[in-house]
Amino acid sequence: MALPSAVSLESAGCLTALGDAPATHAALLRGEIALRARPVLGADGGESVPLALAPGRGFDETAPPNWLEGVRALTAAIRSDGWGTARRPVFVTSSNFGVGSLYAFRRHGDAAHLAYGTPHRSVEWLARELGWGENVTTVSHACVSAHLGLLLATRALEAGLAERALVFTFDFISPFVAGGFHALKILNAGFPAPYAARATGSIGLGDGAAFAVLARGAGDFAIAAQSLHNEMHHFTANRADGSGFAACLAPVAAALAGRRVWLKGHGTGTLEAGRLECEALTAAFPGAPLVGWKGSLGHTLGSCGLVELALACEAIRAGRAPGTLGSAGPGFRDNVAFTPLDVRGTDGVICTSNAFGGAHAAFFLGHA
Amino acid sequence: MPERYLHALSLADAGAEDLAATRERLKDRFPRGATRRMTQLGLLIGAALDELTPRPDDAIVYASSFAETCALEGYLDSFPTASPTLFQTSIHPSAVQQALIGRQHAVGEFFPLTGRAQLVAHAVQAALLAPAPRVLLCGGEERGTWLLANHAASDRTFAFALALTREPAGALARVTLMPTDEGGSAEFTLPDFFAALRARLAIDQLAAPGLRLGVAWL
Repeated sequence: MALPSAVSLESAGCLTALGDAPATHAALLRGEIALRARPVLGADGGESVPLALAPGRGFDETAPPNWLEGVRALTAAIRSDGWGTARRPVFVTSSNFGVGSLYAFRRHGDAAHLAYGTPHRSVEWLARELGWGENVTTVSHACVSAHLGLLLATRALEAGLAERALVFTFDFISPFVAGGFHALKILNAGFPAPYAARATGSIGLGDGAAFAVLARGAGDFAIAAQSLHNEMHHFTANRADGSGFAACLAPVAAALAGRRVWLKGHGTGTLEAGRLECEALTAAFPGAPLVGWKGSLGHTLGSCGLVELALACEAIRAGRAPGTLGSAGPGFRDNVAFTPLDVRGTDGVICTSNAFGGAHAAFFLGHA
Repeated sequence: MPERYLHALSLADAGAEDLAATRERLKDRFPRGATRRMTQLGLLIGAALDELTPRPDDAIVYASSFAETCALEGYLDSFPTASPTLFQTSIHPSAVQQALIGRQHAVGEFFPLTGRAQLVAHAVQAALLAPAPRVLLCGGEERGTWLLANHAASDRTFAFALALTREPAGALARVTLMPTDEGGSAEFTLPDFFAALRARLAIDQLAAPGLRLGVAWL
């Protein structure tokens, strides 16, 4: 059965606090929790909150940003192909870009940070460092950013404006963003327990970067049934009836009717959104097991959709997907899996992400 | 060649107007009480979109290099007691969200883009490739204060919104993106685009590598 509107995924990779995609996948299968309690404002102190930093990276901003070396190591795995030229576009997605540098400038007055503070300056700098040309589309839609990059790249390929496309995403946490989530009171001393039916919810934050090379007609994997929906109901809350989640998932479920899937949810650890998400996924895909990995990796913000795509590829290759980390039963629903899954008998995975403003995104990842 | 037709256009050049003046001028355009926490860019984008009467099946593409500059400045200044309101308001697509949340207007596809030299070309590309029957392409900037003094903000405040469909009848202009092999500098910024729209100037130029942007007024 052919996948509707499928684009081939030629390669994918990621960087998390647990290392690259194979290392992260293996660590998650072992149940490792990358989150560690650290002061929310780094050297400026504050309450200790769960944060997961990329290996060897300090939390406080440096100029140039100290995440470049991790990004270099990650992107070394991408086959050189004239990225950023006319028919090899790059789609960069992030929620924060280099805004932590503006925090460092405002707090400490070092003008060297200004070179990385705005989205275009951070991306132009990154493009120079990585040898990309100017054809870089830059997307910023909070925690669904990576999904938008995938969809825009897919459309460029389908329209013949690209022969191959590189989607790259990064979000390295800083006091800027940790302070914001702490002020919203959803980042606190508690560690996240995604999809667990408990009294209170909370999140952790983590570093993330990832890439995907998309093409027409090549690769082991295909991405299909990409779907978006924006509730525009409230900045930080969803419609209480879950209709926003359902609106995003309905076309995905219709496109994949009859397929056996597993579910990689957003699962940050917030209570109300987690419950609504769990119920909507269960209703759209009855009987499909649900997992989420942010209880270990933290919420990698705008990069999460692509980070978790790379990890889902590892899971499909290995035939085993990590369970929901940081949580124990009972879950919101019986289909929440807290231990690793055998996914060998499935056709693929539904990957979802959510963001401020009631933004929802989903796609199917399976064998090409 | 991707193309759409421009059927409606809304432009707002706030000049030197401050937030309080913009809020007072536009308050009747929004639900009662909604403007209290809106940014200047949110007010202008909201008013521009409102003139195009957003529909449930519209896709929206939003382009801004600096976005919520004043909220970002205020949020940074709020440390060490970070402001939760300014944090959420400072997030890139907040201007459109302020407007649409105020009206409880859900949309399917919403593409907030940023960047600088090729931002217009890539925003137009997102709009022309969206499958929605009508796409609202909007954008703008707001003038910064201390970020502007440090060359990290816009020096002017403006907003625009275009309604793009596939229907040529009755259109104001034809918008195209022509794939090209020509080389050379490809820079066409948001203020350049706003100036051309305001003067209804024809556009025919390399706007990103491999992409020639065309706006032909009909």
